[in-house]
Amino acid sequence: MLTRLKTQVPLFSMNSYTKLREKLKLSGLSLASTHSHVIRLGRHSRHNSKMAVCIAVIAKENYPLFIRSVPVQNELKFHYTVHTSLDVVEEKISAVGKAMADQRELYLGLLYPTEDYKVYGYVTNSKVKFVIVVDSSNTSLRDNEIRSMFRKLHNSFTDVMCNPFYNPGDTIQSKAFDSIVSAMMVQAS
Amino acid sequence: MAQCVQSVQEFIQDSFVPMVAVLCSEDAEKVTRKNNLNFSELLRPFCRLTSEGHMRDPSNQLQVVKNLRISVNNVVTRPSVPSSGVPGHAHRRLLSEVVLTCQPAEGGVANVITAGDYDLNISATTPWFEAYRESFLQSMPASDHEFLNHYLACLLVVSSSEAVPVEKFLKLSQEQHRIQHSGEYTNPKWFIPNTLKYYVLLHDMSQGDEQRADSVYEDMKQRYGAQGCYLLKVNSRTAAAGADEQIPDPWSQYLHKSSLQSQDQYEDPAPVVVNNTAVENNVGGTSEVDGHDSEEKDGVLVNSLDNTHPLQLDTPSDTPGSLDALRAVAVETKPPPLTTGVAAATSHGACLTLNDHDRIRLFIQEFTFRGLLPHIEKNIRQLNDQLVSRKGLSRSLFSATKKWFGGGKVPEKSIAELKNTSGLLYPPEAPELQIRKMADLCFLVQLYDLAYSCYHTAKKDFLSDQAMLYAAGALEMAAVSAFLQVGAPRPYPAHYMDTAIQTYRDVSKNMVLAERCALLSAEVLKSQAKYSDAATLLIKMTSEDSDLRSALLLEQAAHCFINMRNPMVRKFAFHMILAGHRFSKAGQKRHALRCYCQAMQVYKGKGWSLAEDHINFTIGRQSFTLRQPENAVTAFRHILTNDSQQTSTQQGAFLREYLYVYKNVTGACEVALPQLPLPCINSSATRVYFGHERRLAEGEKQAATHVSLDQEFDRDLAAMWQDLEEQVVAAAKRGVVPATFQSTQCCLNSQTDNLRFPLAVVEEPIIVEVVFRNPLKVPLVLSDLSLLWKFTLKDFNRPQTQEDSVGDAVPISNEKEASVPRTSQKDDVIATEVISEFYLSPEETKLARLKLLPHQTGQLNILGLVYNLASTSSTGDTTINSTAASQTEGPSAAEGTSVRGRQDLEIQGPRLNQTKEEKTSVSHGPDRRLDPTITPPMPLLEVFFLQFPTALLCGEIRKAYVEFCNMSRVTLCGLRVASTHPDFFTFGSSSLATPLTPLSPTSFENCSAYKTLATPPGATPGSVAAVTLVSEGDFGSGTGLRGGVSGAGTGGKGITEIPLGEGTLKPGESTQLPMWLRGPDQEGVHEIHFLFYYESAEKGGKISHRVLRHTVFICASRSLSVRATACRSNTLPEEEEEERNGSMLVFVDVENINSSEAGVREFHIAQVSSSSKQWRLHKCINPAEDKDCKLTSRERGKLCFRATRCKPLQVTLKAAEKYTFADLSLGNELIITSTTPCADFFFRRCQPLESLRPPVAMETQGRHSRSQGVGHGGGDKDIAGVVRKCNEVDLDIIILWKAFVVEDNKQVILEGQLHVALQTIDKEACSLTPKEEAQEMVLLKFKPELPPPMTRPSMEQLSHLIKTNLQYPESYSHPFNQKSLCMVPVTLTLSNCSLAQVDVIIDLRHKTTSPESLEVHGSFTWLGQTQFKMQLGAQEVMRVQLRACFLHAGVYNLGTPRVFAKLADQGAMCETSQQTATPALIIIINST
Repeated sequence: MLTRLKTQVPLFSMNSYTKLREKLKLSGLSLASTHSHVIRLGRHSRHNSKMAVCIAVIAKENYPLFIRSVPVQNELKFHYTVHTSLDVVEEKISAVGKAMADQRELYLGLLYPTEDYKVYGYVTNSKVKFVIVVDSSNTSLRDNEIRSMFRKLHNSFTDVMCNPFYNPGDTIQSKAFDSIVSAMMVQAS
Repeated sequence: MAQCVQSVQEFIQDSFVPMVAVLCSEDAEKVTRKNNLNFSELLRPFCRLTSEGHMRDPSNQLQVVKNLRISVNNVVTRPSVPSSGVPGHAHRRLLSEVVLTCQPAEGGVANVITAGDYDLNISATTPWFEAYRESFLQSMPASDHEFLNHYLACLLVVSSSEAVPVEKFLKLSQEQHRIQHSGEYTNPKWFIPNTLKYYVLLHDMSQGDEQRADSVYEDMKQRYGAQGCYLLKVNSRTAAAGADEQIPDPWSQYLHKSSLQSQDQYEDPAPVVVNNTAVENNVGGTSEVDGHDSEEKDGVLVNSLDNTHPLQLDTPSDTPGSLDALRAVAVETKPPPLTTGVAAATSHGACLTLNDHDRIRLFIQEFTFRGLLPHIEKNIRQLNDQLVSRKGLSRSLFSATKKWFGGGKVPEKSIAELKNTSGLLYPPEAPELQIRKMADLCFLVQLYDLAYSCYHTAKKDFLSDQAMLYAAGALEMAAVSAFLQVGAPRPYPAHYMDTAIQTYRDVSKNMVLAERCALLSAEVLKSQAKYSDAATLLIKMTSEDSDLRSALLLEQAAHCFINMRNPMVRKFAFHMILAGHRFSKAGQKRHALRCYCQAMQVYKGKGWSLAEDHINFTIGRQSFTLRQPENAVTAFRHILTNDSQQTSTQQGAFLREYLYVYKNVTGACEVALPQLPLPCINSSATRVYFGHERRLAEGEKQAATHVSLDQEFDRDLAAMWQDLEEQVVAAAKRGVVPATFQSTQCCLNSQTDNLRFPLAVVEEPIIVEVVFRNPLKVPLVLSDLSLLWKFTLKDFNRPQTQEDSVGDAVPISNEKEASVPRTSQKDDVIATEVISEFYLSPEETKLARLKLLPHQTGQLNILGLVYNLASTSSTGDTTINSTAASQTEGPSAAEGTSVRGRQDLEIQGPRLNQTKEEKTSVSHGPDRRLDPTITPPMPLLEVFFLQFPTALLCGEIRKAYVEFCNMSRVTLCGLRVASTHPDFFTFGSSSLATPLTPLSPTSFENCSAYKTLATPPGATPGSVAAVTLVSEGDFGSGTGLRGGVSGAGTGGKGITEIPLGEGTLKPGESTQLPMWLRGPDQEGVHEIHFLFYYESAEKGGKISHRVLRHTVFICASRSLSVRATACRSNTLPEEEEEERNGSMLVFVDVENINSSEAGVREFHIAQVSSSSKQWRLHKCINPAEDKDCKLTSRERGKLCFRATRCKPLQVTLKAAEKYTFADLSLGNELIITSTTPCADFFFRRCQPLESLRPPVAMETQGRHSRSQGVGHGGGDKDIAGVVRKCNEVDLDIIILWKAFVVEDNKQVILEGQLHVALQTIDKEACSLTPKEEAQEMVLLKFKPELPPPMTRPSMEQLSHLIKTNLQYPESYSHPFNQKSLCMVPVTLTLSNCSLAQVDVIIDLRHKTTSPESLEVHGSFTWLGQTQFKMQLGAQEVMRVQLRACFLHAGVYNLGTPRVFAKLADQGAMCETSQQTATPALIIIINST
């Protein structure tokens, strides 16, 4: 429990930071964004979203097996976001002791919030990472729903792995997986 | 955050130092000017005090002041301007310059950080950031809410050369007073109303009167006190002495930046700052302008805004394809200003000796310790007293502070409600400010404890007054002083800083202050290893208003991430990218590039291709704008060659940028053609073809297929061809394959043997097929595509001497010429074909065939390809706006994106795997595909086929024509052909060259392929056979055929020499030859390969021979199936007594098995011929009623012939090897089978039985030879041979047929022949060899099979030893009434079929076991001797007279005698019952 708390500390500070940001936004102050201005992507048309905007599967060796994002123009940004989130994933995994690694919960929870998105993580026992990015305006999404999304994703991924024609380590090109992912994604309006 | 040179404490201390103003008289200025310095500059290097100072705090305790620095600056005045939080324009530019000039050293210190699987090379220090920070802090404008950078003292400097120095001092003093108190100027700001004035008399040693100076100084001491004035003697060096003396120049490092700055400003078209003291003045450039020339202000500002300065301009946007932006940058970017020139040119302190340096140092020390510190001490005391008295507090400040501090959290109170009062200003003498003032004083002289408590108090006051700006300032300083307290009694209050920053930024909108606060706080946090907090803080400070600041802070944040205990590599990388982006927006391209490069290390090769591409693209652009085109090219190349996941639009943009950049690079250096990365070339798939491209059909003519690039390589086929070639070479070289034999390879690819230099012939083209792959989603256009080669001239005809080969070796190359498209590329040596345009669709793999035509002999090396690479022409993409834009601009943009470059073809040979070293290491053999040797001319054969069928009936004979052309200028000879199906074709026998064959194919039409003779009209068809004797040798191929079977290896079995007129073909000549084809016996599609072999008439060339390949596909459909059996005839031939035992019956069973109903209407058996060494067909026994034997579909006919042995004379004649052809025509014309087509095919027939059981055949042969030597005494082994011999027939039947085919309402007669080989009596033979299905699935045998055990001849075989024949009257009348017994004489003829003696036992005893002969009435008895025992010699015929006795009239079967036989010398063997003859019926008639 102690280790848990420790890892929460930087997260919390980040979190409070975004809260602050939100507050400031509400008070009508313009705030420079740290992440979005680089790739200069304004917020695109609001999706009446219930679901993820980006879903990624990352291999054990931290290269992408699958990345899908909904506003296709933002692809690069999501790539960066997902890649950066790996740091947090690794931090969270390493925070769990070696001995406890087996009982570790696969769902990692919120990795880090940016001002536009929330990034959630999930790591399988074989260290394959799932990352789901959700629009941060989307408050209707509960932690449980995210959890079940990950579980669905994991099941589908297992199916992909079971396919004898799939070479472990290749990018995923399964139609079934694709459709599962699409079902979780926001339909681009 | 990167490591800094200074420690945190040092840094903070240096950030806040006591400020000292300087007022200088003109004369004094002149003195210092000699050194290229003004007075404050002169002092600057000595402003840090090396010795400790002491002072007392208000509680009268002695405090040590260590390592104090003071800041000395000229007074610059300006009227009151409201100080805003937004830094001025010039201020920004100044910072930008500072950062720009501070670049990482080339190959400088970099430390490697290993995090997980990342090894990062990161510069440990960020001097540009420190430089920025330093200038930023130094250039902080003085503000009202704090006093830290207000002037504490003023140096009044007067030269000793002044007429009345004291007066001047007075003037200056008044001036100072005016500046401070008149209210005209808000700047500079002064700390305390009664500023410390320190009088300095400057004495120039080189010219002034020293004594006078001393006296003036004495006077001053009287007037201002010893502690308030100083005599400074400088310029003690004379110009003459100074030439050779080297004096260190401590000013350079302090003034470096400023001189640069000024230099840059001179270049600037709008000189904003006239005075080069811009840096020293703590105020921004704008203020200075105002001070000097306020009228100019507006214009200048406008100017400088208009003028496109990198700060505002041209941030290369991320939108793809903004080529224009890139171009603009490329045009605008000038080489970076020279950084060292100016600094070197102006040397400082030229008139100062080291002594002078010491004097100045001493002066500063004196001033600080005697003047400044006491002054500060006094003021602190005063303020303290004042405060204590004003507050009316009896307690000391300390206790009060403690109470308040524990009191609770006032500052965190809601900010939002306080913001209205942020504009609150205290009057200068307000008591709240007095506390602050005192705190600042304490802070400056390192009394941090006191400072902290003062700040804390002040903070509370301000907060309660809701003066947010003031409160923030107090909070900030409280935090800093808390941190700096020795022994750290309380933890660093980070939240103070957070609140301060927030307030500065959001309430006061003063970004400069917020930034200062953040810088301090981050540094402190960093020192406490709170990297995460520091990073957050820094990231928070990034904003849109200053790209430079954002960039620097982001970079620092990135460094924080990497310095964390668990380095966050990816966050580092991401923030580096952000920093890079901001740098590039800020015009700091070099820094931007560096950031991107550092981030690249994280992304590189990790599979994040999208991100990688983005970074590479940016690096490419930045490199290009920074005039590092090589890097740009590398980066761009990386994007293009990687399997990109980018969209096509993006790729198109990448490509265009790449081409554009490339063009600029190549424009710069025209030495060699650059290597292009696109399209990808699969070099190992390169194929090289030697020879002309072939036309396959030319009118009716059908050319030999040979080898072409369109065929795919087939290893089995290649082996087959090589085998054929070896055979034909062996045949040509009289049975010996030369050791140097190398099969001809016309087309080289990755699977062929490329170890040797291939041989090409001069004047014959070399075609290189290159496989291009376009990895992009945009089309590519290659234009002016041609091969690059190098050629070494060599004359192979001349006898080669050592010197020759060395002397000649001057390689010629077309590399130079090729660099410019559309120039003649040395066509006299080797003509190079140029493909003017080659289009590659997106992601397409396409082949290009490039031709070279060598005109001279020598060694050629094909080096690579040269081409113009361009993205698509305009029509293709309308999606990209920028393209459209650039096109509207003019055509140049579209055309400009074409780049000429090359790509080398380097083919790696196969991996070597022979020796142990080769197996353990990875080494590759050479691949000489692209290095052909050009040899002197060789003949070149072209073969054309005329009227060559594609479908045949099995056994059908067709005549076709072949044309041989010699296309070269060299005579051709030794033409041969080898084939996989030698039985398929014949050129006729040369010896029996038939004049009958029409020579031209046109006259061929209705002529039979056979040579025929009309049968005499009266003759019954099939009655008498025409007989011809032919030797096999006449049909040249025959020997080969047979020889091949016997395994003598004299040559391949399918080799035919082609009868050319004189054995040669002259250049340009062509000849036509007839060729007969016979449909294969097996139905189905047959792939038949021909290999034409020919040599040059001139021997000794590098190429010994050449070959031409041809493959045909023949579809064979079923025609007739012929089965034949030979039986011994039981009747004795009466007429030809001499031919003992020499008759046989041959039954031929013909069935029409043709299934294609449409084609063949009926078959006619035109003729049956035999061919054998011993037998011949004699006559047809049952000539059918109709003359021709007709067979419609699925009909079956039977023919019976008698065969006789050839005349013994013929047999014994010189050639036992001669074949007797006997023709029995069933029609009205006789086909002479012994002539060309028929006999040819007969001899070329495949021999099913022999091939089926070759070991047995060999066996018999072997045994024969042995038995001859040993005689007849041989044991068991002999029996079989003898026995078989007697059953052997060895008669071949040739069935000649005609098929009537209806084709297009026209009847066509097809002819054909089928062969049946009869070998054993009573054994059916068939024209169709049974399909051996079992052969398909042969079990793998791990042991060699044991040879089959020597079998004794089987019972069946032994039963054929003796032929029996009963001779008796067919019917016999006997008057039973008269004589009850009827005796009939019967002759039993026994003929020995074998060549050995046979013991025979005849048993007449009635022991019929057959049920039908059981009937009593049908019984008869043999009379007389009932058992005979005799011996028959070889082929002896013996007659035994028997008598049969009948009791009744009736029909009787006489065939009851049983004959047993055994070979005479085989004692151990028991006799075998011989085959019973057919029932011999006799009719006994009662003649009454």
